[in-house]
Amino acid sequence: MQHKLIQSVGVAWTILYALFVIWIYATEPRSFKEVATGAQVMAGTYEVDREKFEEGLSLFHAEQFRAARDDWARADPEQRDALTQFYIAYAFYREGWGRVYSDDALFRQGLEAVNRSINLSQNERLRVDDPDLQMHTPAELKAELEQGLERSVDDLNPLKVFRERK
Amino acid sequence: MSNPSRNRALVRFVLLPLLLLTVALLGGLRVSYDDRAFIFIAPPLITLILSVLLMLLFVRGHLVELRAWVRSDYPLLVNVSHTLTLLSLFFASAQAFNSVLPETGLLFWLFSFFFLWTLWNNQFSNFDARHTLRSLTALFGTAFVLKHMFLASLYAPEGSWLRRLAGVVLEGISLGTLDAQRFAPATGYISFFTLALYVTSLILLAPHPEGARDEEALQVVRAYQKLDSREQRIVREALKAGSLDEAEALPASKEAEALAEDDTVVTQKPER
Repeated sequence: MQHKLIQSVGVAWTILYALFVIWIYATEPRSFKEVATGAQVMAGTYEVDREKFEEGLSLFHAEQFRAARDDWARADPEQRDALTQFYIAYAFYREGWGRVYSDDALFRQGLEAVNRSINLSQNERLRVDDPDLQMHTPAELKAELEQGLERSVDDLNPLKVFRERK
Repeated sequence: MSNPSRNRALVRFVLLPLLLLTVALLGGLRVSYDDRAFIFIAPPLITLILSVLLMLLFVRGHLVELRAWVRSDYPLLVNVSHTLTLLSLFFASAQAFNSVLPETGLLFWLFSFFFLWTLWNNQFSNFDARHTLRSLTALFGTAFVLKHMFLASLYAPEGSWLRRLAGVVLEGISLGTLDAQRFAPATGYISFFTLALYVTSLILLAPHPEGARDEEALQVVRAYQKLDSREQRIVREALKAGSLDEAEALPASKEAEALAEDDTVVTQKPER
C-alpha cells in the first residue's frame, strides 16, 4: 500500500515539476520576482498593485503621461488587468494627440494596449466612470486611436485644428 | 514495507525524477552579465541528437536495461513512472550538454562536433556501466573547464590585459567567428551544480529497477528447478565454492568427479 502511495506521489510530482520546467522555458522570467508573479497569474491570485495604480492615476490627471505609464507598468507587470491597460492606452492617446497631427508611434502602442484591455475584459464589459475622461469604454478608445492612424482626405481639412482632445 | 525497500522506492520514484528534472531546469539557465537577469536558453537541436546518442550509449553500456525498466508484466503505475524517469533522463542529458556548450558562433559548432565524434566512437566500444559513467564524467568535466573556466577567463572584462589580449588575438585568428557570449560568474556555478546533480542522478540510476532484479532471481530459481538432481548438485557445489574464480576451478576437483559420472553432463555444460 505504502509502495503504491510512493509511486502515485512520484508520478504526480514528476508531471507537475515537468510542467513547471516547460512553463519556465515558455515564459522566460528574468528574475525570481517575475517567477512569483507568473505563478500568481497561473494560480489565479494575481492582483494589480493598487498603490502604484493610484499613483499612476494621479500622474495621469496631472498630464504626466510617461510617468503614469511607468507606474502602471509596475502596477501590472504581467499586463493582465483590463482597467490598467485601458488607462495605459488612454495615456498613449493623450500624449500622442495633436491638433495638427497625431504621433503614429504612440497611437500604435495605445492601440496594442487597448486591444489587450478588450481581450482581458471579454467576459465582462468594461466601463470606466472617470469624469476626467471623455471616452469610457475600450471600444470608443480603440475607434479613436484607429481613426488617428488612418490616412484620408479629411486629414487636409483645416477645420481639424478646432477639434478637441477627448 | 521494510525501511530499505521504502527508501529504494523513494529514490526511484521521487528523488531520481526530481534530480533529473532539476538538471533539465538549470541546464539552460544563464545569468546576464549586464543586469544579472535570468536568461533561459532552450536546448538547441544538436543537444537532442547528442542526447539520443547518449541514451543509446547508456543502453549499450548497461547503465540502463530498457527491458528491465518498462515491461508488460509491471503494473501500469510502475511503467508510467519508469517511462517518465527515462524521459526526464533524456531531457536532463540534453540540458547537461546545453549547459557546457557555448551559445553561438564557431565554438558552439566545434564543441558540438567533438561531443558528436566522441559519442559516435563510443557507440562501437565495449563499455560497462562503470566505464560509461567515468567516461561521461570526464567528457562533461573537460567541456565545463573549457567553457566556464578557460573561455570565460579569456572574455572576462575584469581580467588582466594579457588575458584580454589573448582573447582579442583568438578572435582575430578566427576572423571574428568565435562570437563568445559573456555571462555573469554565477553562470559557471549554476553549470557546475547542474553537472554534479546530473552525475549524482546517473549514479543513483539502477540498470535494473528492484522488481526486475527479483524477477531475474526467480528466473534462476525456475531454471534450477528444471535441472535433474545431478545437475542441481553441480550448481550447489559451485555456489558453495563462494566466488566465481573458485567456481571456475571446480572442474579440477569436486565438480570434475561429479561430471565424470555422466559424460552427457559435460556436453551440456555451458561455455565459460
